[in-house]
Amino acid sequence: MLGLLTIAWRNVWRNRRRTLISMSAIGLGLALVIIYSGLIARMMGDAKEQLDNAGLGHLEITAKGWRANRSPKLAIDDLDGVVASLPLPPSAEVSARLLSRGLLSSARANQAVEVHGVDWGQERAVALYLREVRQGAVPADDDAQGILVGEQLAERMHLKVGHKLRLMVQRADGEMGAALFRVRGIFHALSPSIGQRRVLISRAAAAELLGADRGAHQIVVQLERAADAAPVAATVRAKLGAELEVLTYAQIYPIFEAMESLVNGAIVVASVFVYFLVGLGILNTMLMSVLERTREFGVMQALGTRPGGVVRLIIAESFWIATLSVVLGLAIGVGVSWVGSRTALLDFSRQMGEGIEFSGAVLSAVFHTELSVRGVLLPALYVYVMALVVALYPAWRVSRLRPVDALRAT
Amino acid sequence: MPAVEVIEVKRHYQAGATTVRAVDGVSLTVEKGEFMAIAGPSGSGKTTLLNLIGALDEPTSGTIRIDGVDLAGLSRRQVADLRRDKVGFVFQAYNLIPVLTAAENAEYVLELQRVPRVERRKRISQLFTELGIGDLVDAWPGKMSGGQQQRVAVARAIAALPAVVLADEPTANLDQVTGQALVDMMHRLNHEHGVTFIFSTHDPMVLEKAERVVRLVDGKIASDQRKGETARQIAAEAPAAR
Repeated sequence: MLGLLTIAWRNVWRNRRRTLISMSAIGLGLALVIIYSGLIARMMGDAKEQLDNAGLGHLEITAKGWRANRSPKLAIDDLDGVVASLPLPPSAEVSARLLSRGLLSSARANQAVEVHGVDWGQERAVALYLREVRQGAVPADDDAQGILVGEQLAERMHLKVGHKLRLMVQRADGEMGAALFRVRGIFHALSPSIGQRRVLISRAAAAELLGADRGAHQIVVQLERAADAAPVAATVRAKLGAELEVLTYAQIYPIFEAMESLVNGAIVVASVFVYFLVGLGILNTMLMSVLERTREFGVMQALGTRPGGVVRLIIAESFWIATLSVVLGLAIGVGVSWVGSRTALLDFSRQMGEGIEFSGAVLSAVFHTELSVRGVLLPALYVYVMALVVALYPAWRVSRLRPVDALRAT
Repeated sequence: MPAVEVIEVKRHYQAGATTVRAVDGVSLTVEKGEFMAIAGPSGSGKTTLLNLIGALDEPTSGTIRIDGVDLAGLSRRQVADLRRDKVGFVFQAYNLIPVLTAAENAEYVLELQRVPRVERRKRISQLFTELGIGDLVDAWPGKMSGGQQQRVAVARAIAALPAVVLADEPTANLDQVTGQALVDMMHRLNHEHGVTFIFSTHDPMVLEKAERVVRLVDGKIASDQRKGETARQIAAEAPAAR
């Protein structure tokens, strides 16, 4: 004759309309969870990518106390020795910076700026905007007068490639220092604040300007995965000792962690809500289906079906409803997520500009989705778990019926 | 060993403040191969007695043995297994499972008994041919007439060769001709294969065919008559017997 699953499959299609409505509701709920989770996962991924966009890195190494008062005197003197001794994975990128605040003056305007003295090659690996030079080019390594400015700053100060600028800073010895530079390139940064405040010169030029040795105020380390930051930081900290301070991006910008737990919480709440509705849907379908077949279950018991056999049949029916719903939910959820991973699913750039800056993190105003095996399979698995759990109640109810009572049911 | 032994069985239940004595001290022995009818007016306890014999209901007191197995003290699972292996049912409303074809319905008990598929198919095919429904193997219950459904129900009841087949008003939903044909068929199965049948009925045609008729009145056996014998008035004899 037939296996349990075949009988259950036929039972599921006895009321075609009810089954279709249930599987549509459950499937759409599942699709919603997949798409929503994918959007959030991509948003978080994008937010972490901002570490690269903003040149923040996953780890920061500074002289002890530098982050608290940013004194130009607090530099890492033995830079080469420190960098060489860093216990980092081979894929890690490292860039050393001399940092200062200064005043940038052109013939027509003045603007307060953050000065980054960098080694162009290394900096390019940790700061995305150095790969986004839209006009001109990154200065050559031996170009002591080359300066890069952001698009917003260039616009505000009416700067073009080749324009001459005067940069004034406070030197390490407390005196004012100034030097002339020439705009070699204009970069594009997703973060408007970087675009309008940051200027980059070579580290050698910065050392000269600041009256410092060729050390660095900050060593930035970019890892392959943001999740590795804490363990790598612990190893580096142990190696370097107390004279140098090692911080992870999460310690410097707690907003990333806060955002992550906030959105994870939002996913949990939304998922619980959706799965609750999914559970109600399955329970309703199963209860209606089971209660209108009470007499039939009585017949099955009269013929010798054990109580466990009835329970298994009802669970098998629930399994099929879950499977149909999961197939529909995956088709819609994966389909939309796939499209969303290639083209923008939501685009607020007209209303909000290219990026939305939020306490140091910059989120793209164009939303994509992330399609991952885990992000698809886990929600589907939860539908099965929910289907199994809610089927137990009607199954238990029917299995407790005495055959004589079940047979009397109309 | 008798197919069925019923000893001083009572089934009482409460209906509001009233105690209904649906079956009230019935004792009965049905030997293997009997073709017996339980007769009586509506409410006399026929169906209740049949449900008790079929282990679908539990007696308030008394002993029931099916093929030598005492039903008292069996777990729900053991009772289910007993029904599967020793009792066949034919219901008034046929009660075929609508998602199974005729053959699948008839095979249901054999599948529960884990009889191999090839053997099941062979047995059902022979049975269907014998019952004159060989062309209904793949028919769905919803597409069959009442008489056809009841024949499939009989096939389902006897397929696993139970100790006893219980038929609750099997002809009640059938017209005279179809009912007659069904009873003839069951009678033939009884004669040729020794299948034990117990009917509840008040259909005169069925009673005429029965080789033994037990009449119930108010939950008690009023008479127990075998074909060719005069009716034995149990109720009248009862005080003396006790």
